[in-house]
Amino acid sequence: MELGLIAIGAGLAVGFTAFGTGYAQGRIGAAGAGAIAEKPEITGRIILLVAIPETMVILGFAVAAMIMLLLPGG
Amino acid sequence: MITPMTRVQIVGHKRDLDATLRELQRLACVQLIDAAQVHPGLHRYAAIMEQQEMEILAYLRSRLEALLALLPPLPDEIPEPWPEEDLIPRIQAELDAYASDLEALARERQQLINDADVLPSYAATLSKLMRLTPELTQLREYETVAVLLDRRAVGLMDMLAEEMQAIAGPYTELVWDQVDPDHIGAILVFPREVAPKMNALLGRMQVTPIALPESLQHVPFQDALAHIHQRLEEIPRELETIDAQLHEAARRYRARWLGAARTLSQRLEQLQVRKQLGETRHAFVLVGWIPRDHLETLRQHLEDRLPKALVIEELPPTAEETRDAPVLLQGNRLTRPFHFFIRLLSLPRYGTIDPTALMALFMPLFFGLMLGDIGYGLTLLIIVLLVRRHLPSGSGLRDLMTFLLIGSLWTIAWGFVFGEFFGDLGYHLFGLHPLWRERSEPGALASLLLFTIALGAVHIVLGLVLGIWQAWHLRQQHELWERAGKLVGLIGLFLLVGIIAQQIPRGWMSPALAAVIVGLAMLLYGLGSVGALLAPVELLGVLGNVLSYLRLAAIGLASVYLALVGNLMAGKMGVIWLGVLIAILFHTLNLAMGAFSPSIHALRLHYVEFFTKFYEEGGQSFHPFGASAENNA
Repeated sequence: MELGLIAIGAGLAVGFTAFGTGYAQGRIGAAGAGAIAEKPEITGRIILLVAIPETMVILGFAVAAMIMLLLPGG
Repeated sequence: MITPMTRVQIVGHKRDLDATLRELQRLACVQLIDAAQVHPGLHRYAAIMEQQEMEILAYLRSRLEALLALLPPLPDEIPEPWPEEDLIPRIQAELDAYASDLEALARERQQLINDADVLPSYAATLSKLMRLTPELTQLREYETVAVLLDRRAVGLMDMLAEEMQAIAGPYTELVWDQVDPDHIGAILVFPREVAPKMNALLGRMQVTPIALPESLQHVPFQDALAHIHQRLEEIPRELETIDAQLHEAARRYRARWLGAARTLSQRLEQLQVRKQLGETRHAFVLVGWIPRDHLETLRQHLEDRLPKALVIEELPPTAEETRDAPVLLQGNRLTRPFHFFIRLLSLPRYGTIDPTALMALFMPLFFGLMLGDIGYGLTLLIIVLLVRRHLPSGSGLRDLMTFLLIGSLWTIAWGFVFGEFFGDLGYHLFGLHPLWRERSEPGALASLLLFTIALGAVHIVLGLVLGIWQAWHLRQQHELWERAGKLVGLIGLFLLVGIIAQQIPRGWMSPALAAVIVGLAMLLYGLGSVGALLAPVELLGVLGNVLSYLRLAAIGLASVYLALVGNLMAGKMGVIWLGVLIAILFHTLNLAMGAFSPSIHALRLHYVEFFTKFYEEGGQSFHPFGASAENNA
C-alpha cells in the first residue's frame, strides 16, 4: 500500500509538471512558429523561449526521483 | 575565438579612388565605416556624379538577371571574367543583340505551357456540349455561344429562352441538357447581327459564356474540338524544340552573362560605398575595420599596386569604439561547425568571450550522454557519414551533421560506459557489461542523477568563472559582483545540501552559511536598487540551472527504457521475423527521437544555463567590402 502511494506520488510529480510544461510550450511554440515565419533570424531565441518551461518537468522529475529514492519503502 | 580587429585609414588623391576601391574589393578584408563620423569635421563624399551611373548599372543588372532567369542553369557553371572597360555600352549591346529573341522564345514557351494546361479542360467541356446538338454547330451564318452552369440554375433556362425570342424572334435556338451530375450545358444560337444584344442579355443574367481561345472563338465546335486535339499532340514536340534552343543559348551565354552580372554588381558596390567616404577638395578619406593580422597584407598589396599614391595608417580604436567593432569568428575544422549554433542565437559582442570551443566540447558530450548506446551511436554515425558527404561545405545542415558526427562518437563512448547496445541486446547477444553502471538498473538512478548534477555544477561554475573573468577584463563592476556573488552563494548552497545529505561533516555548517550570506550580499551589491528583491531569486535560479542538468539523466532514461520495451516486445512475439520487425520499428523510432531530442536539450543547456553566466550577445557580423558582390555572382 505504502509503496503504491509512493509510486502514485512520484507519478503525479512528473505528470502535473509535464502537463504544465506541455501547455506552456504549446502556447510559446505556436507564437514562436509565427514569429519565425516573419523573422527566421530569431530561431535561436525562440528555441530558447520554448525550452524555458522544461525546467518545470525536470524539477518534477527531480522530486519524483527524491520521493522514490529517499522515502522509506521507496 | 573572435578575430582581433583594428581600424585602418586610407587617404589618397581622388584620381586614384577607382583603383583603390577596386583593389579593396578584390581583397575583401575591410568593412568600411562612415569616415565623417570618425572625423567629425570631414565632408562626406558627395556621390552626385555617380548617381546616374548607379541607376543605369542597376537597370542593366536587373535586365541581365531577368534574361539569365529565362535560361536553364547548367551544372558546374563558372562565371566568365567580364572586363570593366566600357562596361555599360558592352552590356547594353549584348542585351540589344539577344534579349528580344530570347524573350520571344520564353513567351512562346510560356504560351505552350498555358495551352497544355487549359486546352484539355476546353476539350472536356466541348465534348460535353457536342452531345447536345452536333448539327447546330455547322450553322456558319449564326453565332453560337456555349455556357456551362451549375445544375441548380435549371430554372434560368426558360427565362433565357423567352428573352432570346424577345430579341431575335423565331431565329434563335436554345438547347440545354444535364451534361454531368453537377452541370447543365446550354448552346445558344442566334443571328450574328443580334450578338451585342445577346451578350448584354447574358451579362444581365450573370451567365458567363465559355471563353474559348481567341483563335477558336468563331470556329464551329466540331472544328474547335479537332483543333484542340491536334494542338495537344503538337505542343510537347514544340516545347521540346524551344527547350533545346534555350539550352543551347544557356550553354553559349550563361557563363558570360553571369560574369557580366558579377562585374556589374562589383562596379555598383564600388559606387554605393562612396557614400561612406570622406573628402577634401582633392583627396578622399576611407576608414574601415580590418582583421588585425590582415593589415600588413593590405598595406603591402596596395603599395605594390598603387605605389606612393596612398597613405595607409592604423587608426587604433578607443575602448568605446571597440564596442562597435564587427565580429568575425575564427575556428578550426572541429569548432567551425559550431558557429552555426552561435549564429542561431546572436553573435557575441566584440571583446567578449566566444564560447564556440567550449560548445564544441560540451554539446556533443551532453548529446552522447543522453543517447549513450553503442548501437544507436554506430547507426547514427553511418547515417551521418552518408548524408554529410552530399551536403555543400559551409551549409547549416552540414554543420548540424558535423555536430551529430561528433555526438555519435560520444554516444558510442557513453554506450560502453553504460553497457548498452540497442538497450540490453548487447548483453543478450554477446554479454556486454558496462564500464560503470547500467542505466536501467534501479540502483543506478541515484548515481546517475548525482553524476549529471555534478556535471551541471562543473558547467555552471565554468560559466560563472568565465563571466567573472570577462567582467574583470571589461571593467564591468556590477556584473563582476553579481557573478562572483552567484559563485560564492552556489558553493555555500552545495555545502549545505552536502551537510543535509550527511555527506559533509556538520562542522562545515558555519562556513556554508557564511558563503551563502556573503554571496547574497555580493549579489545584492551587484544588482543595485532591486538587489534586495532579486538576490535570493537569482541565487535559487542558479541552483535551478544546476538541477536543469538532470535532464541529461531523464532523457537518457527515457531512451534506454524505450529500447528495453522494444526488445521485450520483440522477445514476446514468438515468431522471429515479427519480433525482428517490432524491434526494428521501436529502435528506429527511438533513434529518430534520440537524434532530435538530445540535440535540442544539449543546445538549450548551453543557451539557457551556460550562456546566461557570461555571454553578451549583440555583435555585428563582419561584412567586408567586396564580399557581397562576390556572393551576388
